[in-house]
Amino acid sequence: MTALAVVLVLISQLAQVGGQILLKHGMSLVGKPSRRTGPILWGLGGGIALLTAWFGLWMGLLQKLDLSLLYPFTGLSPVLMVLAAGVFLRERADWRTWLGVSLITAGTVIVAFSVPAGSP
Amino acid sequence: MRDTIDPFMTTAIKPPSPWYLNPYFHLGLNCVLMAASELLLKVGATEQSGIAAPEWLKGTGLTTLGSWWTVGGIAVYILAFVNWLYVLRWIALNLAYLVTSSVQVLIALGAWMLLGEQISLLRWGGIALITVGIVFSAQSSAHAEEKL
Repeated sequence: MTALAVVLVLISQLAQVGGQILLKHGMSLVGKPSRRTGPILWGLGGGIALLTAWFGLWMGLLQKLDLSLLYPFTGLSPVLMVLAAGVFLRERADWRTWLGVSLITAGTVIVAFSVPAGSP
Repeated sequence: MRDTIDPFMTTAIKPPSPWYLNPYFHLGLNCVLMAASELLLKVGATEQSGIAAPEWLKGTGLTTLGSWWTVGGIAVYILAFVNWLYVLRWIALNLAYLVTSSVQVLIALGAWMLLGEQISLLRWGGIALITVGIVFSAQSSAHAEEKL
């Protein structure tokens, strides 16, 4: 895989996870007693925008690269979730999680390098 | 005597008994639908990669919407989403995550058998590591998903 392709796949995964979190935040505010619509619209609008960006990027990548090369990268979304929980919720992961995160990361690196020299 | 009220109705209601409403059947179905959706999107994307359009426009992925395969892939994706909501009504998120890790293997098998992709031993090894990794991190990523 070229460096550009790897960067684009990583951006698409970030956009998907970020979009899902924003959408969920927006939806969780709907029906709450406070009447402010601003945060709801930011959450829903931002979520839809990020998920649209993810879909376009993903389809663009699927045009060029094998599905069996691209799909394994979606395994990074639990890793991103755990990292986001660490950053935003200050939660510490246990050893099982770290083992899982390490296995996923190692597996993704192996898949990224599993393209014979000369092909895209 | 008054019955205790469970505000979240988690213990009071039993899952429906017919097999086609069984939550575990739907969890399995969800894996198949997710895999089918990705395979359809891949066919749609490949089909549209040959059409005449400026390179920048193709890069946005928008041209792929011109294929019925892509439209079908999106339809199955939406179906899988509705099905997933039903699954989560009965099954804990971490268990559901655990089972859906098998989608990694299903998609690789589908790409190999149906799309004729060449998958090297190295790539199979990477996919296996990722699948086992998702199993190990299912508990805490489900927890993170619920809290975030």
